[in-house]
Formats: sequence, structure tokens, C-alpha cells
Amino acid sequence: MAHALSANAIPAAAISGERLAPRSRVLTIAGIVLLVAGFAMVRTDPGFAAKAWLQAWLFAVSLSLGALFFVIIQHLTRAGWSVVVRRVAECIAANLLWLWLGFLPIAWLWFDGRLDTLFPWANLDHLREVAPEEAALVGKKVAFLNPGFFMIRAASYLLVWALLARFFLSNSVAQDSDRSVARSEKMGKWAGPAAILFGLTTTFASFDWIMSLNPAWFSTMFGVYFFAACCAGGFSAIALMSLRAQSRGLLKDVVTPEHYQDLGKMLFGFGIVFWAYIAFSQYMLIWYGNVPEETTWFMARQIGQWRIVSAALLFGHFVIPFLFLISRWTKRWRGTLTFGVAWMLVFHWVDLAYLIQPVIPHDIGKYDTYDALLAAYANEAAPVLNPGLIALSAGMLFLLVGRTLARLVRTGLLCKGDPRLAESLRFENF
Amino acid sequence: MTTFAPSSPPASAQSAPRPKIHGVLAEFHDPASLLHAAEKVREAGYRWWDCHTPFPVHGLDKAMGIQRTILPLLVFGAGLTGTTVGFILQAFTNATSISVWALVWVTGYPFLISGKPLISLPAFIPVMFELTILLAATSCVGLMLLLNGLPWLSHPLLANKRFLRATDDRFFIVIQSRDPRFFRSRTEDFLKGLGAKAVEAVEA
Repeated sequence: MAHALSANAIPAAAISGERLAPRSRVLTIAGIVLLVAGFAMVRTDPGFAAKAWLQAWLFAVSLSLGALFFVIIQHLTRAGWSVVVRRVAECIAANLLWLWLGFLPIAWLWFDGRLDTLFPWANLDHLREVAPEEAALVGKKVAFLNPGFFMIRAASYLLVWALLARFFLSNSVAQDSDRSVARSEKMGKWAGPAAILFGLTTTFASFDWIMSLNPAWFSTMFGVYFFAACCAGGFSAIALMSLRAQSRGLLKDVVTPEHYQDLGKMLFGFGIVFWAYIAFSQYMLIWYGNVPEETTWFMARQIGQWRIVSAALLFGHFVIPFLFLISRWTKRWRGTLTFGVAWMLVFHWVDLAYLIQPVIPHDIGKYDTYDALLAAYANEAAPVLNPGLIALSAGMLFLLVGRTLARLVRTGLLCKGDPRLAESLRFENF
Repeated sequence: MTTFAPSSPPASAQSAPRPKIHGVLAEFHDPASLLHAAEKVREAGYRWWDCHTPFPVHGLDKAMGIQRTILPLLVFGAGLTGTTVGFILQAFTNATSISVWALVWVTGYPFLISGKPLISLPAFIPVMFELTILLAATSCVGLMLLLNGLPWLSHPLLANKRFLRATDDRFFIVIQSRDPRFFRSRTEDFLKGLGAKAVEAVEA
């Protein structure tokens, strides 16, 4: 391309994060204020407060996991095109170094003996009283679903993620000054094991933290679903942060429509189409099998207002963004891509609400027909627009963006020592 | 193209027309000079011409002034057709009876499977999906060939010894004789002026 920047010609001001520092402080403080305010709003209802916190925290975690997967897959495939957007991804993923703090409230519930506020399996005796049949099923899972093992697993996921994020960020930052090709080779070599570790930890974390909210229900596809959701959120976050940095005059001529188009393609492939493929596969198998202990999970998402949320997810997370982002032009124009990825972030959050918030009614077995169930629970509320939940989620998001910016201030916005930087700068789609 | 009146005598050897040629071939040794030359050929207003390179050269489409293909739109249409056909196929075969323009009554095979309604969208979606992919993928390949005017059983260029290196280390521009601006000697001089290392006619 005629006006591609050469690696030596990038002005230092274009890749220095200095001017992001004030924004990072404002966002961090706003995030903490919103978290406190949100907590004040939800604390009267401990059950909802715990779920609201879980959703807000997992929103931030899933964005970081999506970004971590992006970094791993770039090294695994030795991708050249993505070098100019990789630092942003590395810095979003590096939030996993502090996001473990968000698990402390759940750890405190465990320490306080109230883990069943969130997870019914933590108090089998109580579950036996309210839902004996469910308790009988859950009782067979205690070897896995018990508080001690649960905490050990959680600690191991959080540790693995922090180590992975640190490994890829610190090597990349060190490469900025030493320009060592060996570092790229080292990261490429470890990307394989990292991908395996990432897959296992993400899958089991989603089993533990989301699927076990309804402990009698199970789906082997659930981990993949959560992974696809992470991609939807994480890839959108990478694209949005690059777009925002560019509209503040950074990364000028470094990130081009060519890179945006490819980010858009990855979001389209993993976050929209693959997500829908997995979501539908999970739904169809359960719908076809029609086994009561499996269908209850979807029943809980079709009663009352959850019916609207399910439909909104089908159209907002798949049909509309599919048609919107399928074109080459919407992925290349900054305005349309900004709209598309912001839209996907909103619906990724709705997706988490859909996964976490609904409660399967304990008396679901007593209704003879689907219609009778719908009629009985016609007024079931979906607390998606609960101000406390929104405040907590916005707080976590602000904190995430604020800390990402703070890290970008320290590391700079570009992997300027990467041997594939020149290839990335002149990258062009055919 | 030329037709002779049956009564006219055969043309004498002296005034025999020169052998028909496919066009003129210009050889370049590096992508940069090919790109530069391609821009000049485009600016000169030639329309029936092409570049041949051993590997994809970035920016060549732009230099040649090639418009974006409409293939993606056609493939999208083919995909939508697949989705629709997939639905209609299943709805039609599952329907108890259906009237085709109120003229023909067709009785289907109404299979009740595990108590599901006869027209069950979730059960139809895998077939709709597969037909979408099938029609989109096959039409993508088929229409790509069609839009490119392929397949050709042979091509005049393939008989040219020099052209063999188009798959190795040489870059070629070929201007066809059917181009309205084509005039053999003038076109050859023009290509030589663009820095071609060799220029020669390709026999038809």
C-alpha cells in the first residue's frame, strides 16, 4: 500500500499512552463510586445482590478472557496482521491480574458459611426441604460440587489466567526494548499449552460459576457457549478500545481499515455466528430430547419477562448483528464498526443476565402443560434493567477500562519491538 | 470473422494477411515495475488486458483499476435461497395436504415425532442451515468460475515459451488484440517504453 507507515516512521506521540492517564483516573474513580452505589442499591436482597455481583464481575472477566484468547490465538498462528492491535488486547487481558479480587465477596460467602446464597448445592439439607427430587440429583454430584473443592478450583482458574496474562504481556513489553525475536518464538511455543489451559479453565469456570447456579441441570456444551460469549465480548472490547484510541489521535495510520475488517471478521465468526451455532445446538438437543431435568433450564427462560429477554438475545446477539456486520463495508468504516461492537457489548451483557439471573421454579414439575406453566408465571420479572445491577456492571466496566488505560499508559499502545510489526503495518485484505 | 465471396479467387501468397495474434506480451522482472506499468496501461485506456504474476501482488487490483466483484452479493442471495428452500422442502413434505395454485392437491407424509408439531422450526433449522451452506459454497465456486469466464480448455498464452515463467519468477502484462486501442507496433512500443524487459506477440 502506498501510504503504509514504515516501522521506523511511527511518531512516538502516536503510540504513547500519556494522554490517556487523566481518563484512566476518572474512569477508575467513577467505577469505584458506581460499584459502591450499586452495592448500596442491591444489598437489601442478599440473593439478588450475590447474583448481580456475579454477573457484573463475570462481565469484566469475560471481556478479559476474550482478549486473552485473542492474544493466545495470535501467537499460536504466528499471525502478522494483528501486531498493531495486540497491545490493547494484552492490556485488556492483563486485568486478570487484579480481577481475582472480584471473587473475594464469593469467597467471603463461603467463609461465612453462606455460599448457598448463590449456589443451592452448598446447602443440601435446605435443598432437600424445598426440592427433594432436585436434591436427590444434586446429591450425586457432591464429589465435585462441594465448597472446599469449589474454592480450590476457583483459585486455580484465577491463578492460571493471571499467569497467562502476565506471561504474554511481560514478554511483549520486554520485547519493546530488546526487540528479541526469541521472545516471539517463546510465546509462539507456549501458546499451544496456553490454549489448552485456557480452554480447560474457561470451561470449568463456566460450569462452576454459572451452570452450577442450577445444580440439577447440566449441558456439556455450556463451556463452549461461555467461550463463544467471551469472544463476543472480548473481541468487541479490543475493537472498541482501538477505535476510541484512534478518535483521540493515537495509533494514527497504524491501525487501518484492514485491521478493523479483520477484527470485525473475528467478532463475526466467533462472537456472532459460532455463538449462535452453539446456542442453537444446545437448545435443539434439549428441545428434541424433551427430558424434564434438561428442559427446565429453558422453561425458566421462557416464563414471564424472560421470554422477551430470550427473543431479544436471538435477534440482538445473532440476527441483527449478523446482517449488519456481514458486509465488508460496515467492518471497515469506523462509525459502523463502533456501533456494531458497542451493540455486541450490550448484548453480551444481556447474554450473561440470561445465563445467570433466571431461577428455575421449584414447583415446575407440578404443571401438566407448558401453557399452564406460562400462565402461572406470567408475571415473572426479569431484573435485567434493575438499576443496582446496571450500576454494578457499569462500575466493573469503568474499572476495567480505567485499569486497561492505566496499563496502556505504562506500556505504550504498540508492540513496537515485534518482528512482525512491519508486516502488520502494511497488511492488506484481498 | 472475414467472409469471402465464393467467386473471388484465393488471396495470393504476396498479400497474405499476417497471422492472427492473441495479443502482445510484455515481460517484467519485478513486481514494482509491473505495478508501475499496469498503472500506465490503465491510464492509456486499454480494456482487454491482464497481468500474470507467480504470486499475489498487493495493490495490483488498484493499479489495474479492477472493480470489486459482485460475487459476495450473489453468494448471499444463494445462501438465502438455500435457507428458504430448506424450510419449504420440510414444511411441504410434512404438510398433510397442500394445494399448488389450487390446481393440484398433494398429500404429504405427516410424521408426528415425539409429539412435536408438524411444522417445528427448531427441527427444521439444521436442514435449512446445511442447505444455506451448500448453496452458498457451491454457488460461490461456480459463480466465481462463471464470472471469470472459466473453464478454458486451452489458452493461446500457454503455447508461449516465455510465458512459462509466469509461474516462477517473471511478471507479465498481456494486451489482447481485440482491444479497440490495440495496434500491434504502437502497443509494442508503448510496452517497451514502460520498461518491459522483453515484448513479443502471442500467436492466437
